[in-house]
Amino acid sequence: MASLFPVVFLFIVLLGLEVCTYLLVPKGPQQVTIRTAIMLTFAACYLMWMVTYMAQVHPLIAPYRSPKLET
Amino acid sequence: MGDDYPSMFRSEPMSSVELYIPREVAHDTVTELGELGNVQFNDLNPNVNPFQRSFVGEIRRFEDMARRTRFFISQIEKEKDPILIRPLSDSAPLITVGPRAARTIDELDEVLGEHEARLLQMNESYKTLSERTKELVEARHVLRETAVFFDMAETQQTEVRSSFDDSSAPLLQYDDRETQHSSTLQFELEFVAGTIERSHIPTLERVLWRLLRGNLYMNHTDIAEPFVDPVTGVETRKNVFIIFAHGESILAKIRKVAESMGATLYPIDANADKRADSLREVTARLEDVQTVLYHTGLTRRSELMIIGENLSRWQDVVCKEKAIYETMNFFNYDVRRKTLVAKGWCPTRDLVVIQAALRRATEESGTNVVPILHELPTNKTPPTFVRTNKFTEGFQAIMDSYGTATYQEVNPGLFAIITFPFLFAIMFGDIGHGLIILFAALYMIANERKWARIELGEITAIFFSGRYIILLMGLFSLYTGLIYNDIFSRTLHLWRSGWDWVDMNGMEVGVPTGRVYPFGLDPAWRAADNGLVFSNSYKMKMSVVLGVIHVCLSFTFTLAS
Repeated sequence: MASLFPVVFLFIVLLGLEVCTYLLVPKGPQQVTIRTAIMLTFAACYLMWMVTYMAQVHPLIAPYRSPKLET
Repeated sequence: MGDDYPSMFRSEPMSSVELYIPREVAHDTVTELGELGNVQFNDLNPNVNPFQRSFVGEIRRFEDMARRTRFFISQIEKEKDPILIRPLSDSAPLITVGPRAARTIDELDEVLGEHEARLLQMNESYKTLSERTKELVEARHVLRETAVFFDMAETQQTEVRSSFDDSSAPLLQYDDRETQHSSTLQFELEFVAGTIERSHIPTLERVLWRLLRGNLYMNHTDIAEPFVDPVTGVETRKNVFIIFAHGESILAKIRKVAESMGATLYPIDANADKRADSLREVTARLEDVQTVLYHTGLTRRSELMIIGENLSRWQDVVCKEKAIYETMNFFNYDVRRKTLVAKGWCPTRDLVVIQAALRRATEESGTNVVPILHELPTNKTPPTFVRTNKFTEGFQAIMDSYGTATYQEVNPGLFAIITFPFLFAIMFGDIGHGLIILFAALYMIANERKWARIELGEITAIFFSGRYIILLMGLFSLYTGLIYNDIFSRTLHLWRSGWDWVDMNGMEVGVPTGRVYPFGLDPAWRAADNGLVFSNSYKMKMSVVLGVIHVCLSFTFTLAS
């Protein structure tokens, strides 16, 4: 199950969201500002999630810990 | 792409304009344009000395008035009980445009001058009265203490001449008192009495002893309360001293030495009755002076309260008028046709608004002459103007601090609205702390209107002006906190972890289950000893990736410019 499928899937979702935002933000004095803000937010959030996910898909090391002392 | 509206993507298109303003309506026009704040004027007289410009006289006048308002503020601050200054939003404005404007300014000038003169006079008299008080208090102490000395001398004396009554008894007749006084003179030495600082007493004793070869008797006592200098507030401790000696020359020497050491000498009478009279007189005068002092203080306070009521709007008017005349100094004054020629820049979108302002100025001034706006085609680079609202203002300010973009370049401030708080959140990354700053920002925004009017402290004002930045930082910190799986440094177990703990050689080792923690950092890493090894390398790699992408984004901006 540890595949890159979610990465690709969510990338396509992101592209879809970006296009929707570009077309659907209402015209007004703040159109450009709002549109830029929302598109940037989506892109940045996806990017951060993608890096985190891909860092854990094929881990190079495993966690270890000393056992908890039984009381 | 938003053709009808200006956007923050690039700076606004500007036009170079020329204004022909008739002299009568000049002041009101500049007031209106000043209120709008949309025009930037070029200095048409760059070679003229500031003292030779046309409106120097008016500026000097307003500078004088500004000095007076600063004086009032310093006087109000010196008062021990705070005096309320009515805030500007609460005061009725002074009308400085229209036909009555000149009268209003003249009246303001007069009023300020009067208040200043009265305050200065009151301060003077307060100072003089405080000095008198100090002198009288010292005199009273001297009288009291010397009474003690004389009593001691009298008791010794009555042992010798016991047949005479006590000279301090008030029942004796005046003649008898006089004869007694002359007879007791044989046993009484002449003396010098006064006050001196406590630290100088041993020096005085030593000097006099050496000087007069021991031919003196000196006694001194401490005055318990310290004297406070009314001007500087410094405390000094003084002693009363009395020096008995015999002979005019010796007394003269004593007086000179004492005065050179900074002592104040007081004329004390040897006769006890006269001393009692002097004491009563001094006490009465002291009370009078203190009453007058108190009343002067009250009058001064009421004067300052009247000033406090009006101070904000006076300051406002003086500031604005000074700025208006400084701007008018930029214009070219055509004496023959009595018009001022002004050149400047304004956003092309605002040309209509400015025309309306010019017409408003004409109406207010009550004259019929209209200033003329003329658009000039030009090759020069216009200044960069980005229209901001209360939300975008903070971000644009941050970007401008790195340097203003050139005219019609892609404006980085637009993207900074998101990237700046996001990069902050990557560094912050905690849900709990993110919530705290989010609530702080929401609180400031909820009280926006109230806080905008009152005077905030310096640090609070900085945070208040950045309230929207802090809001976004809080929101993004929530997101990055979710990704880092950090709430007050503890982890959230929202999904099943991707690692199973298996006991192996006495250590618990995580075995991959094949699942990946779907959103964020796996909570197993928090419990692990080598958790930092993984998370550090992960965060470093992420920073590099995001940084590179960020830089590539800004490359595309330079392409577009």
